[in-house]
Amino acid sequence: MTLLFAVAVAILFGSGAYLLLKHDLVRVVIGMVLISNAANLFIISAGLSRGQAPIYPLADGEPVSDPLVQAMTLTAIVISFGVAALLLALVYRVYTSHLSLDLDELAEADERDEAVRDLATLTGRQR
Amino acid sequence: MSPSSRYQVDAAQSRIDPSVTTVLTQTVARLLLVPIFMVALAILVKGYADVGDGFSAGVVAALGVLLQDVAFGYRAIGRLTIVRLAPYGALAGALIALGVTFVPVLTGEPLLRHRPGAGEPVAHLGALELITPVLFDIGVFLVVFGFAVGVIGMIARMHPRPIGPSRGTGATGGDEG
Amino acid sequence: MSLDLTVPLGLAWFAAIGLAFFDGRRAWAGWAAVAALATTLLGTVAVAVDVAHSGPRSVVAGGWPTTIGITLEADALGLTFALLSLSVLLVALTYEVVAGVQARGFPALVLAMATGLLGLCLTADLFNFYVFFEIAMVSAYVLTGYGDRPHQLRAATIFLIVNLLGSVLFLIAIAALYHLTGTLDMEQLAIRIPIVQTNPAILSATLIFVAFGIKLGLFPFHFWLAAVYTGTRPAVAAILSGALVNIGSYGLLRIGGGLLPRELEQGAPVLFALGAASILYGGLQAISCGDPREVLAYSSIGQAGYILVCLAIGGEAGYAAAVLFAVTNAINKTLLFLVVPLRGPWVAAAVTVGAASVAGIPPAAGFFGKAAVFRSTVADGNPAILTLLVAGSALSFIYMFQMVGRQDWATGDGVGPIWSDSHLPATRIIAGGVAVVVIGLGLWPEPLLVLSDAAATALIGRLP
Repeated sequence: MTLLFAVAVAILFGSGAYLLLKHDLVRVVIGMVLISNAANLFIISAGLSRGQAPIYPLADGEPVSDPLVQAMTLTAIVISFGVAALLLALVYRVYTSHLSLDLDELAEADERDEAVRDLATLTGRQR
Repeated sequence: MSPSSRYQVDAAQSRIDPSVTTVLTQTVARLLLVPIFMVALAILVKGYADVGDGFSAGVVAALGVLLQDVAFGYRAIGRLTIVRLAPYGALAGALIALGVTFVPVLTGEPLLRHRPGAGEPVAHLGALELITPVLFDIGVFLVVFGFAVGVIGMIARMHPRPIGPSRGTGATGGDEG
Repeated sequence: MSLDLTVPLGLAWFAAIGLAFFDGRRAWAGWAAVAALATTLLGTVAVAVDVAHSGPRSVVAGGWPTTIGITLEADALGLTFALLSLSVLLVALTYEVVAGVQARGFPALVLAMATGLLGLCLTADLFNFYVFFEIAMVSAYVLTGYGDRPHQLRAATIFLIVNLLGSVLFLIAIAALYHLTGTLDMEQLAIRIPIVQTNPAILSATLIFVAFGIKLGLFPFHFWLAAVYTGTRPAVAAILSGALVNIGSYGLLRIGGGLLPRELEQGAPVLFALGAASILYGGLQAISCGDPREVLAYSSIGQAGYILVCLAIGGEAGYAAAVLFAVTNAINKTLLFLVVPLRGPWVAAAVTVGAASVAGIPPAAGFFGKAAVFRSTVADGNPAILTLLVAGSALSFIYMFQMVGRQDWATGDGVGPIWSDSHLPATRIIAGGVAVVVIGLGLWPEPLLVLSDAAATALIGRLP
């Protein structure tokens, strides 16, 4: 079971990291979502214990599974859900303002801006 | 095909055309809406004696709205009052949950102290125990449902359009956790 | 009757949610946010006064027994950083409200960030630390996009992705620590960590270091910083460099110094090396930049290196120096980022004060920060580090006065040639007020020194 979880977390994290290195922002976002979920799965696997559900009333003598990891994972899922939505909204706004989601093209736009700014600084110094 | 043009989808194609989904889908979606909300309500109130809580109830209820979006398209569900009010519902839910959290502080008790406490007699409404955690979970339900429906609405509206100032939606809803 | 330590937290939180209903561009909403934040700050001051008189206070959520419930604790270290963050946020929010808020959510977001930073400083539970950390970060993600210009959106995207990766690493480290020790309570963690095997503990410590290194903008994790700081509006840059960066320094102190001191000591050579790299890289890059905002951004990278060096030295003196330096540095950066877009004779004076403070020249508060770092290094007796600090200081001296000399700060009608449309006289008064605080703390540094010593004692005193 532990091995299964370890392999699943590794695959999720690996695929996410691979997508993160792509030149396309949508893939980067998907990679980010995969990595967040790898972390969520990792939290679950940090408290793997067999037992009855931790809901009152409990049967005597039987072990209870760890409820804390579930609560933590739920919180982490909510947070990653919110942040993923935010990331998508931001990427969408990048798209509407640049009509591109290619990281190379965005870097070019950065360089153009920098040139303009340098010019402004130079003229500001001459004033 | 340049990388940028990959996202240049024709505006007409990007939205699911109502005629693409069949009458069957639409009927099923319409029929399922009320049962889905009922299930969400059941999950919400069962959370104190069984599996379930405000969060899962909110997600289930939001799935019901998502189903309407798939079947009828954004324009149809955009007319629903529940979708328009969703962001405010999320904020109101956050206020309710925060109220339950911090009101005990005003009376000198630690935050999140629930009433009635353990072992004290509890009033019942049917099988539902009337305790402050229920109110907290209703707040959580509203936050999750409102946020999810807001996000569904936001993403549904994201069809390519000419460059222009885009209005920020969903930006205020991201700070609950 | 002492104020419950959760009252300020609740106040900020309610105000954040309540203000989200309204359009923050309206003047009344902005001033309501200022009032709420000021009240929160006052409440925190009241808690701090109480803690100074009668020692650390804690409260367990729901009234549960201590090892079961989630604990919130107010001690000198947490309160120092809470007061610092709230003050910086208040100044930046007032500045922006005076200059004219341009986005609907700005006041609510600043209050949400105040909630996150305050909660972060008050929590004694590792997972809660992560939750508050995310509340602050999510507000920061939205704030970096504030202004909606294309280059800001690009900067915000980089910022979000890089910092999200850092958050995920932090989350993984928390899960690992929970797996190793079976607890999330910081006090319990500090007791149980020493019996954990070395390798897994080192691994978790490394992940935590990377997560906070990204927040702090340390050398190998700095690449997001310059683009973001130059891209956003002055108030947001001040918030990021004066308030949000505290997450990094506070997190490293609290978790590195307070929970994982053995791992911190084992990693000291690496911390020294990275700190040295940060100081030199930041300094050299800052010298080569023309734009004042870029100079300040790279200067932040360099200053982060000093905090790291102090942490590596460790001990009470090292931690006290780290706290003192973090506080003065945050105030310096707030002042400089707010004043750089303005012009006028008083502005020239304020810029000079800020530059002197960063360079560590006496009447300014920065002198005591740098002096504390030097003192702990001399006490440590490592000549290589001392040489490095001297070189770093020389670099900061050069780039700061290069920056002052490059522009004509005194003339003009208040509108800088770059960056901003915040040109009202009131914004100059606010920036001038921060400059007065910097000078004031330089002339009467007693409160700062007492505070940083108390913070270091609180941190060390927690160790078993």
